[in-house]
Amino acid sequence: MVQALQRDTPPAQSRLARRAPYITIRVTGVLLAVLALGHFALTHVVNDVAATSSSFIARRWGSATWVVWDGLLLAAALLHAGAGLLAVVRDYRTRPRNRRHWLAGLGALVFTIFVIGMVVLVYSALGAHR
Amino acid sequence: MNFAQAVFLTAFGVVTVAIVAAVWVIVRSARRMDGGAYPSLSKLWRLGRRPAERGEMNRWAFYAHRVSGLAILAFLCLHVLDVSVYAFSPTVFDQVHRLYATVPMRLFECGLLLALLFHALNGLRVVAIDLWDLGGAAASRLLNGVVGATVVLTIAGSVVILRPVIG
Repeated sequence: MVQALQRDTPPAQSRLARRAPYITIRVTGVLLAVLALGHFALTHVVNDVAATSSSFIARRWGSATWVVWDGLLLAAALLHAGAGLLAVVRDYRTRPRNRRHWLAGLGALVFTIFVIGMVVLVYSALGAHR
Repeated sequence: MNFAQAVFLTAFGVVTVAIVAAVWVIVRSARRMDGGAYPSLSKLWRLGRRPAERGEMNRWAFYAHRVSGLAILAFLCLHVLDVSVYAFSPTVFDQVHRLYATVPMRLFECGLLLALLFHALNGLRVVAIDLWDLGGAAASRLLNGVVGATVVLTIAGSVVILRPVIG
């Protein structure tokens, strides 16, 4: 039991390292309440989902406002997800090696999705202006 | 159905499996860490207690928050990948995107709306609890508001989403 408790105790961290995920989750969370719900409302309520085809995307990414909106949405969502996953993995994976593997794997997944999303957004936005 | 649509549906299956697996881990560990009785109809009567005596509702909200968050992330990964098809070929993107307007996907979108609304509103509640140092009773009352707003907005949104297919 004592060993289990010691194993669960996280290694000593600076105050910033302890607070960074907490602050990240809350700041991006408030931002996402607007950005994500706005995105869903635009693509499912204001427009029917059947109408959000490639021509809809071409029109939307022709405007800088929506490119910035989508870029911010992607960055905020994945920062929020990364910080949230950190807490989830720490709750359910207690052995340090196991925990490191899960954090590395999920971190790589989130980072990959971020890079793919940003490349597609910038590439398509530049193409729409041509 | 063509190849691109089959790939999308396979990826959608992977997302579903990921969500079910996450719920499995969360529920199993909740049973181990929190214990308590299984949910039952008699629990409904206990909802009539005063807000300050309903502290365990915060725990249920915590688990619902975690499940909805992981489900949204799993879908977000699929969504980024399916939109990335647009950069390669708008034609293939339209073939994949046509699936989003089918009845099963529209039902899934209603579920997504439920998850988004609960996660957003409950998240704002958590921020409010931290910022203004709210106690248990206020947190419980806020949770009533979160659940009520989530249910009302989900029903309203679902009507809009499903209207084209119910006629």
